[in-house]
Amino acid sequence: MSYISMKTSIIGATAICLSVAFTHESKADAVNCPSPIPLGLTTALTGNLALLGMQARNGVEFAVDEINAGGGIGGKKLALTTEDTGASSTDALNAMNRILEGKPLVIFGSMISPHVFAQTEVATKSETPFLVGATNAKVTAQGSKWLFRTHVHDGQLADLIPEYLVKSLGKTRPGIMAVADDYGLGASKGIQASLAKLKVAPVAVTSYAPSDKDMSAQLLEIKDKDADSLIVFGRPADVTLVIKQMGDLGIKLTTIGNSSIVAQTTLNNLSAAEADGTYAIGGMIPQTSTDAKILDWSKRVQEKYKVPADNFTVSYYDTVYMLKSVIEKVGCDKPAIRDALAATKDWKGMLISYQADPQGDLAHTLGIYRNKGKTPELAGPIMESGY
Amino acid sequence: MGQLVVNGLALGSIYALVALGLLLIFNTVQIVNFAQGQLLMLGAFIGISCAVTHELPVAAAWAITMVAMALVGVVFMVLVYFPLRGRPAFLVILTTIAMGIVLENLALIIWGPLPVSLPSPIHGPPLRFAGVVVSMHQLLIFATLPLVLLLQFFFLTRTRFGILMQATAQDLHTARLVGIPVNRTIAVAFAFGAVLSGIAGLLVAPIFLAEPTMGGSLGLKGFVVSVIGGFGNLPGAVIGGLFLGLVETFGARYISSNFRDAYAFIVMIAVLVAWPRGLFGEKSSEKV
Repeated sequence: MSYISMKTSIIGATAICLSVAFTHESKADAVNCPSPIPLGLTTALTGNLALLGMQARNGVEFAVDEINAGGGIGGKKLALTTEDTGASSTDALNAMNRILEGKPLVIFGSMISPHVFAQTEVATKSETPFLVGATNAKVTAQGSKWLFRTHVHDGQLADLIPEYLVKSLGKTRPGIMAVADDYGLGASKGIQASLAKLKVAPVAVTSYAPSDKDMSAQLLEIKDKDADSLIVFGRPADVTLVIKQMGDLGIKLTTIGNSSIVAQTTLNNLSAAEADGTYAIGGMIPQTSTDAKILDWSKRVQEKYKVPADNFTVSYYDTVYMLKSVIEKVGCDKPAIRDALAATKDWKGMLISYQADPQGDLAHTLGIYRNKGKTPELAGPIMESGY
Repeated sequence: MGQLVVNGLALGSIYALVALGLLLIFNTVQIVNFAQGQLLMLGAFIGISCAVTHELPVAAAWAITMVAMALVGVVFMVLVYFPLRGRPAFLVILTTIAMGIVLENLALIIWGPLPVSLPSPIHGPPLRFAGVVVSMHQLLIFATLPLVLLLQFFFLTRTRFGILMQATAQDLHTARLVGIPVNRTIAVAFAFGAVLSGIAGLLVAPIFLAEPTMGGSLGLKGFVVSVIGGFGNLPGAVIGGLFLGLVETFGARYISSNFRDAYAFIVMIAVLVAWPRGLFGEKSSEKV
């Protein structure tokens, strides 16, 4: 009896010691971090990409403020430095160089792929984890061990949109309309390739410049070529114009596209009749959640920034919290943070779980949405093939 | 085909309206205002603030916008033109470009980056004939352009102030010597130029949405159509605008939508090669 008691005591004492030791190690990691912990963000806050870029700022800043209000990480506050990239890749590179002068522990890059392409080399040379939302599929194919993407990319959309249109909606004569920049043209090529795999040829492939306001020529071409559906890929402002002008011209086609179709910015400028029945596949948006906490979060973001939270806001917000959990685990050693991010498995964010693949992509869950009037409804999440 | 013509003419009318504002200032002080597009954007947002944010009737929003734009034009003149008067013209032109950037970012701070729509002052079902749809707002645009052109033409050629403006444009120093209130004349030109941009903004916002960066491209197209029409020539600018609207729309439909913006500059270069002073440019001589 006494032997058992002694054994139990030894095991118990060992367990307590180990637990204290591990607890101590975890705290020590955060304790070794600089105070405050420097973080950098480069995103477009001016110019014609500001609407997009501000979503990154809003997501990161909102999470940083929340974490700091809760005492920081291991008692250390986060210090976020933000640099405006404007709309040019040159300015984006300059912004990155300015951010690096502050020796940040981690850099958040924007969702604008040309900017991220311009910044990747210097971020990689600085051996600083670089967390981005850039949507060009090739962003994570640059061979940088330091770059991670926490938003879905247009390669995933290019596969899933044609598949849903053809297999689920039964449309076989789509017209394609995409914004003529890196984002839209990359997606347009991917969509055409995916349609080819499904043995479907688009009846018309059109594009418009980011500054274009009149889409009637492209829409009339698609109509004249007897399309049964429209795949539209663009930013909220121009997708709004496409849908609006379809209505003005009396063109009625099943319309599917990226998440701009369900963005609050788009829906605010459309009538219920114009928006009704349009489909979107893309990063998950908070508006369709039934979770009161998420809806409250969305409301608080809107109140603070006067801009509705979207899929990017959620993604960047999640990214900061993911970083927090990584720092709590491995401390402030940059290679250790990089390795921990590369080993991410089933990290639960606000709307999706994140899992790192060998290229550094962490988001593999998308949402299928259908607008009922001006209200987007989640038809269901959809996983990238292989996840 | 008919629909392309209607939409091309509507787009061209907007370009022509921007050009008319640009030329009113140019014809008085010989300065190209490259912030004309940003003034258009400002007009659109002032209209939206009145009609959407403060829910004023659209007619009241239009009236307030025009008064506000006249003031903006005068302030613009005081900030941009007066400090650099007498300096090389390119300095003033560069300053207008800088002012355009300032206005764009100011709008971003005040109104934010979200695109916003302005209600049209006229409502009603669109007209339909032979498969062609013409919205009420497009009809308003078509009606506004000749009205503005006629009013401007009448003002410049039939009113005392307009004639003083033309005299100031021809020779500012002589105009001052003969007792013309030059500063007041220039102020009126800037005020009217800004009002015309404001009207263009009010017409654009219901169909194209308003956002802080909307002015850059439209302002540039306004400049291009002025060059095509023969810089300084009002009917030329209108014809140039309508022509460019049609070229862009038909080019996007039958050649490629990828090069829509390029068509403007291809047309401008082609016109300048064939007619170095533009389609309706007058020969001018300069003392050396």
